[in-house]
Amino acid sequence: MVLLLVIVLEVILFNSLGRRFLSGGNISNVFRHSVEIGLLALAMTPVILTGGIDLSVGSMMGLSAVLFGMMVNSFGVDPWLAGLAAIGFGALGGGLNALLITRLNLPPLIVTLGTFSLFRGLAEALTKGAESYSAFPKSFLALGNSDVAGLPAQIWVFLMVAAGIWLLVHRTTFGRSFRAIGYSAEGACYAGIPVARNTSLAYIIAGAVAGLAAVILVARLGEARANAGIGYELLAVTAVVLGGVSIFGGSGTVSGTLLGWVSLAMLNNGLTRISDYRIMDQTVASVARELSGLLTGLLLLAALAIGAWTKNLATRRARGQSHPENPPRSSPP
Amino acid sequence: MKRKSFITTLALFATLPFVSCSKSESKGKLTIALLLKSKGNQYFVTCEKGARIAAAQINAELKVDGPINSDPAKQNEIVENWITDGVDVIVAACENKDSISTALRKARAAGIKVVTYDADAQPDARSFFVNQATAQGIGEQLIDTAATLTGSEGEFAIITGTLTSANLNEWIKHIKARHAAKYPNMKLVDIKPCDDQKDKAQQETTNLLSTYPDLKVIVSVTSPGVPGAAEAVKQAGKTGKVKVVGLGLPSENNAYVKEGVTQGVILWNVENLGYLAIMAGAAVAKGDLVAGATEFDGGKLGTMEVTGDQIILGKPVVFTRENIDQFKF
Repeated sequence: MVLLLVIVLEVILFNSLGRRFLSGGNISNVFRHSVEIGLLALAMTPVILTGGIDLSVGSMMGLSAVLFGMMVNSFGVDPWLAGLAAIGFGALGGGLNALLITRLNLPPLIVTLGTFSLFRGLAEALTKGAESYSAFPKSFLALGNSDVAGLPAQIWVFLMVAAGIWLLVHRTTFGRSFRAIGYSAEGACYAGIPVARNTSLAYIIAGAVAGLAAVILVARLGEARANAGIGYELLAVTAVVLGGVSIFGGSGTVSGTLLGWVSLAMLNNGLTRISDYRIMDQTVASVARELSGLLTGLLLLAALAIGAWTKNLATRRARGQSHPENPPRSSPP
Repeated sequence: MKRKSFITTLALFATLPFVSCSKSESKGKLTIALLLKSKGNQYFVTCEKGARIAAAQINAELKVDGPINSDPAKQNEIVENWITDGVDVIVAACENKDSISTALRKARAAGIKVVTYDADAQPDARSFFVNQATAQGIGEQLIDTAATLTGSEGEFAIITGTLTSANLNEWIKHIKARHAAKYPNMKLVDIKPCDDQKDKAQQETTNLLSTYPDLKVIVSVTSPGVPGAAEAVKQAGKTGKVKVVGLGLPSENNAYVKEGVTQGVILWNVENLGYLAIMAGAAVAKGDLVAGATEFDGGKLGTMEVTGDQIILGKPVVFTRENIDQFKF
């Protein structure tokens, strides 16, 4: 609810300060430019629900992008086939994370911090840091730059993935086990949930979706480079946490993640709109974009604070009413 | 509680139509958008300064934007936002040649004129490239400056970035050609790579100074090499005896130039590059500069020559003790 208000406030603010924020063209830009981060946020949601984190998704994008570019440019593989392969490589990378986390019981933060460097390093080594791939057929680039039924083409892919993840998390026993694991892995184990297998799947999905995000980014830019997706993992985590998913796992929703993502995407685009704003005949171009980091931080902290505050309030009220010995640990919004 | 927030949300939405369209569009004025490679980089801050002078002179609206981090997607996003804004001209310095070309082609398809400067896009993604300097101009300026300092005689050595760097090798080629043609009494003793690192340049220069005690001048074709060589000369106590010249930013070399360690720092006039890029963009938009043109009016820079689809800024500038304080980049 708080996020909906944030989004509405953003729309009002940016539309009055900036230029043409609500125009169809700009709204479609907002989504076209943030689909990749949205995909990563979706992919990150099941992982965080299990109480884990995946810092390697941005680097996985870089590696998938390079492998994809290499397949198409150097080996003449059909881009759609190569796209599927890139998703497969992503899943493999996610599998490596899963293996280390579930078999060796290493903390996800440390494992994915390692693969964060490993994947990016591999991508840079494969291209010697400088090479890039840019010979892609027009039909493939259309995925990143054309409209289908009035919306950016990649939004349709995004919606399919969103629906898939939503169904998985909220409509299958399998997906519900993510929250159970995050709430208490031991408890989930006693309840007969195959904890290692299900946790692994969350990471494999995350890797595969990162591969998909890489393909979409390459289609949008027309170039595959080792630096694709730099810094995206933290933006994705921000969107997820902003969306009310507990960083400790156990609670949260896919729709929350989506709202978190939309509010971030609008913030980012809206600030560039304000860059046309003039104060005393001086364009404030050089201010607005730099504010993006600052405002993202404030937004996140404010949302967390308000969330914690309302939860405290609810807990106190619940205590006052009946079961004082049994305060709810968390309530899904 | 829930219903209340819902109603508030609705009420807020209802006010939307009243707050929109509060900004008036400037009609009839040319809107030029200047894309920087990166914001906050002194080089591009200086480009922007020149661009603002040009925009004020031709009474055009100028938007300036550029990425603040290394995300390769950022430049494309900025261009796509400009397409939605409906600017008239985009003047771009390109970070990733191929990816930015995707966005610039889109802009052209939407009827926006595109000119590049500093770093080019693919030729089909822009109509003209404002080139800051030719390889020949840079190479000849370097050796000419070195020759002036040494009376056209004695040993000299070159510090380069890496031995495989295409543009540096191109400059060295022109240094050698000019050397062979004009300065028979000078002798090139060595070419050392410094991997574009100041420390390595310092180390290599120290070695050069002991290997060739008669060395008269060190020429660095890479910008980290200039302060690196200067530091080595200074520490060897050979200030003034061994001259240092090279391609670099005035700001990085200011102290060495003032101390008399470095005699000449060479670079194009960055402010004029921004200025000329805007003038070229405006000329393309007004139809004064079309394919096949051989010259156009570069404002305060005078009539500029057009070679094919390139406009050359002109000869590089030599920054010396006398003028270096005027250049802030």
